[in-house]
Amino acid sequence: MVGALRRLRQEGESYQGVWSWLTTVDHKRIGIMYGVTAFLFFLMGGIEALLLRIQLSSPNNAVLDPDQYNRIFTMHGTTMIFLVVMPLSAAFFNLLIPLMIGARDVAFPRLNAFSFWVFLGGGLFMNASFFTGGNILKGELGAPDAGWFGYAPLSLQSAGTGIDFWAFGLLILGVASMASGFNFIVTIFNMRAPGMTLLRMPLFVWMTLVTSFLIIFAMPIITVALFQLLFDRLYGANFFNFEAGGQPLLWQHMFWLFGHPEVYILILPAMGIVSEVLPTFSRKPLFGYPFVVISGLAIAFMSWGVWAHHMYTTGLGPIANSAFGVSTILIAVPTGIKIFNWLATLWGGAISLKTPLFFAVGFISMFVIGGLTGVIHSIVPSDYQQQDTYFVVAHLHQVLLGGAMFGLFAGIYYWFPKFTGRLLHEGWGQLHFWLMFIGFNITFQPMMILGLLGMPRRIYSYPEGAGWEWWNAVATVGALLIGVSILVFMFNVVLSLRRNDQAGPDPWDGRTLEWAIPSPPPAYNFREIPTVRARDDFWHQKYEEDETGRPVPIVGGGAQEPEEEEHAEGEGHGIHMPSPSFFPLIAAIGLPIIATGLIYDAAIVAVGVAVLVVGIYGWALEPASE
Amino acid sequence: MSHTPAALETGTGLDNRKLLMWLFLASECLLFGSLIGAYLLYRGQSVVGPYPEDLFDIPFTSVSAFVLLMSSVTMVLALAAIQRGDQRGLRIWLLSTALLGLLFLSGQAFEFTEFNHEGLSLSSNLFGTTFFVLTGFHGAHVTVGVLILLSLLVMAWRGRLTQSQSLNIELAGLYWHFVDVVWIVIFTLIYLIQP
Amino acid sequence: MRRLVSVALLIALVGLLIGCAGADPDLDQNTFAPEGDVARMQRDILIVWVLGPAAVIFVVMQALLIYAVIRFRRKKGQELPRQVHGNNRLEYAWTIAPAILLLMLIVPTVAGVIELGRDAADDALRVRVVGQQFSWTFQYPDLTDAEGKPLTVFGLPGEVGKPSTGRPAELHIPVDREIGVTLESVDVIHSFWVPKLAGKLDVVPGRTNSMWFNATKIGSYSGQCAEFCGFQHADMRLIVVAESEEDFEAWVADQLEGGGAARSGAGEPALVSYGE
Repeated sequence: MVGALRRLRQEGESYQGVWSWLTTVDHKRIGIMYGVTAFLFFLMGGIEALLLRIQLSSPNNAVLDPDQYNRIFTMHGTTMIFLVVMPLSAAFFNLLIPLMIGARDVAFPRLNAFSFWVFLGGGLFMNASFFTGGNILKGELGAPDAGWFGYAPLSLQSAGTGIDFWAFGLLILGVASMASGFNFIVTIFNMRAPGMTLLRMPLFVWMTLVTSFLIIFAMPIITVALFQLLFDRLYGANFFNFEAGGQPLLWQHMFWLFGHPEVYILILPAMGIVSEVLPTFSRKPLFGYPFVVISGLAIAFMSWGVWAHHMYTTGLGPIANSAFGVSTILIAVPTGIKIFNWLATLWGGAISLKTPLFFAVGFISMFVIGGLTGVIHSIVPSDYQQQDTYFVVAHLHQVLLGGAMFGLFAGIYYWFPKFTGRLLHEGWGQLHFWLMFIGFNITFQPMMILGLLGMPRRIYSYPEGAGWEWWNAVATVGALLIGVSILVFMFNVVLSLRRNDQAGPDPWDGRTLEWAIPSPPPAYNFREIPTVRARDDFWHQKYEEDETGRPVPIVGGGAQEPEEEEHAEGEGHGIHMPSPSFFPLIAAIGLPIIATGLIYDAAIVAVGVAVLVVGIYGWALEPASE
Repeated sequence: MSHTPAALETGTGLDNRKLLMWLFLASECLLFGSLIGAYLLYRGQSVVGPYPEDLFDIPFTSVSAFVLLMSSVTMVLALAAIQRGDQRGLRIWLLSTALLGLLFLSGQAFEFTEFNHEGLSLSSNLFGTTFFVLTGFHGAHVTVGVLILLSLLVMAWRGRLTQSQSLNIELAGLYWHFVDVVWIVIFTLIYLIQP
Repeated sequence: MRRLVSVALLIALVGLLIGCAGADPDLDQNTFAPEGDVARMQRDILIVWVLGPAAVIFVVMQALLIYAVIRFRRKKGQELPRQVHGNNRLEYAWTIAPAILLLMLIVPTVAGVIELGRDAADDALRVRVVGQQFSWTFQYPDLTDAEGKPLTVFGLPGEVGKPSTGRPAELHIPVDREIGVTLESVDVIHSFWVPKLAGKLDVVPGRTNSMWFNATKIGSYSGQCAEFCGFQHADMRLIVVAESEEDFEAWVADQLEGGGAARSGAGEPALVSYGE
């Protein structure tokens, strides 16, 4: 089999169509695959969200039964976090990091492909659990039903294989995240173009670096916790078995020791994107660059010391609760620094009101609420009331949907022209923004009121007369509006790809290196590795500042160059790029097979191990390039 | 070959693969940290026996710890051999390292079987749960290490590991030493220091 | 600006009022309408220390943001703006000022944690609460019948896969007297929560948590499990009935007359087996 595959591979770069995508090690193609896959999962998670909202739109509703509701809210949370926001961020890492630091690819292109295929396999594996509950057409779902947080002992007690799929799925996704975390740290440390010092790196590169470190240190903890859960479930171990002296709270400690850094893994990339979009559209450099960098580092460090604020009500005692209360209060300081600097970046600028800017400003606006409600939650005694209510649901969506997803959409509108060569339509883009922004506020601000009115989270229904009917109905309307806005976005993408509005290399008058090369970039990115002389190097190729600090265009500088390059020499002959490879895909396929075997039958494990071994050995033995 | 790491001057001066290995090992510290943490948290919390003091055979485990420690020495010798182009030495020391690793693993298998006979299993009590999972994870790491060593040995035998490829041995060595150090920690915290 | 704040607060208030208008007193769980000292303290900390200041900061930040985007939008033929890279004084200011404001929040946090975390008073009425999927059982260890068996009120345990029926278990307490509660679970993690009386505390298998609260007004107060506990989590409800000291004594006597045969509020007693 290895021989046959090698022969296939020897056809080398002549792969066409689907084959070329299956074997690609090009960071841009992998980024696009990450993005498209994550968006499909976003639709899935979104449909799940709408089902939940429809169920809750009126009291004693019966669209979903409790069992279906529990499974769907579990999958909604898990999907949005692990299959949407993380991989969508990874899509941007892949697309942008080599371009922004002036490199031809990431440090380990095949490992990068492996990350993607493992992510895809893990996502499909986890969603396959829907089919394990019987006849799915009759509404018999088999998905996990213990929440995305999987608290033991409920997750031990849960019948069926849903939780096993969930735990193995997260383990597989962890492999993907860690592999890409390692890859991007090495890439950023080692592959920077000459002159690209750490303090000249674009903010997005910094946030990617910080996020990657959080990933490689947080993932092992959840890995151990998930193994412990699986040992308990499958082999009768006692980690969380209180009858044998085990402590259910150990799960919560480990889950949140991972889980709080995870929150910043989700938000920091979006913060990086916003820190790129705001300067470009304000036509001013990022205000207080070093402070924004340092506050990002500070957030990452502090994120390790706040986990127990998810556990205020578990009875940790006054000392622990006070300590974690204080650390949580203080993490607002670096977060505030970022917000002030973004505001100061806009201040005094010449702001072009384009879609990416709308989303970036929407991000700040919603993230302010997310941050403030975060401080509200940090106050331990009053949080005993808000914990596990819809107030928390509102808060986390302010941060993850109003925050992370708005930031990621800003990035999509901003860099879409770079990677497709076409501009997204402005009018439809702004319609998307306003529908989503209004829908978001109609959905989640009422949830704060619901929380204060005492509505707990994760209830499939509520009785008539609790005073929650009106706000729930409003929230459902808002959710449908968000759904419409996503349809508008999809329409816009299709329309814009067909409209063929050529973007050119530098449609926004950008500041960073990716705008110096053609759109879409050639496989080798840079014909010549650039030498970097300043922060926002590309901007300084185009403008110099006069005595008053106003930029003056340099005649013949910057922007014209790439167009010439595009026509100059055609395909980058003479530049050797890594060869395509099947082996990352093969190795990745092994993992879900092994997991399936561990749930059902040891014989399948052997098959999975064989596939994995073939993949790894083929990978190790093939030369990295011809 | 402009993209190959060796040809480029890297930002840190470290080879890409070496930096990757260091990062991986840093990440592994948290993996073993969590496992050891769970063991220590549950130490003395088992509600039924058998308890560690009934089972641990310190002299035996000391010998197997010594075996693993010695394998780090032979690993160093293997690296020294390839770096001075001594192919025969490379093969001998790689083989010795792998064999010492296998010896350690058989010791662990023997220990597991013995404990099992005494009534300790994954599900018998908290001690069984935490002990088998912790040492099992470590054993799995040693197993992977042995497989890597044997693969390198085959490559060396077929003449596919030249002096210029000494990095392969260095990386395997980093991993092997790490696994070794982890065992020293486990041996000290779990076997030697009894409350 | 002040007008904006008052308008915002007014809107919030009206919203809350619309929300609770017509709420069934047996189901009302409004944390802003507390009837116990603990819940009142929690509401006051929330409004005075955080919600109020947060509302002000919210309005200021949003106003600045909207102002910046409108005021500094690009006009036709406009030159490129001055390239300002930063201002260290400003940076220190907006690091230190928020830090000081935030550090002030430590006061209510620590004070509140200590007050709510203290042991129940010696003369408090002790109640042992046991959570079980998907019901509550209440035991009064100090109120015993002739045989010395403590008064116990059993809830109806739910059956996985079936919706619950009937009225939830009632926890009778005397008004204006401190209640010291210990919480235990026989299966998974639950959370004991009666929003109008006190914030929640988790009910964790394998450990005993304790809290105190009181009711300052006669009435019945709705509560429900606040930690996701499985299939029927939404139906794991309880009602706290706060009555005058005399009525409570009478209720206790009535219960104990039945030979300590505790009964559930829903009629037929359902025995729950949990370790004594």
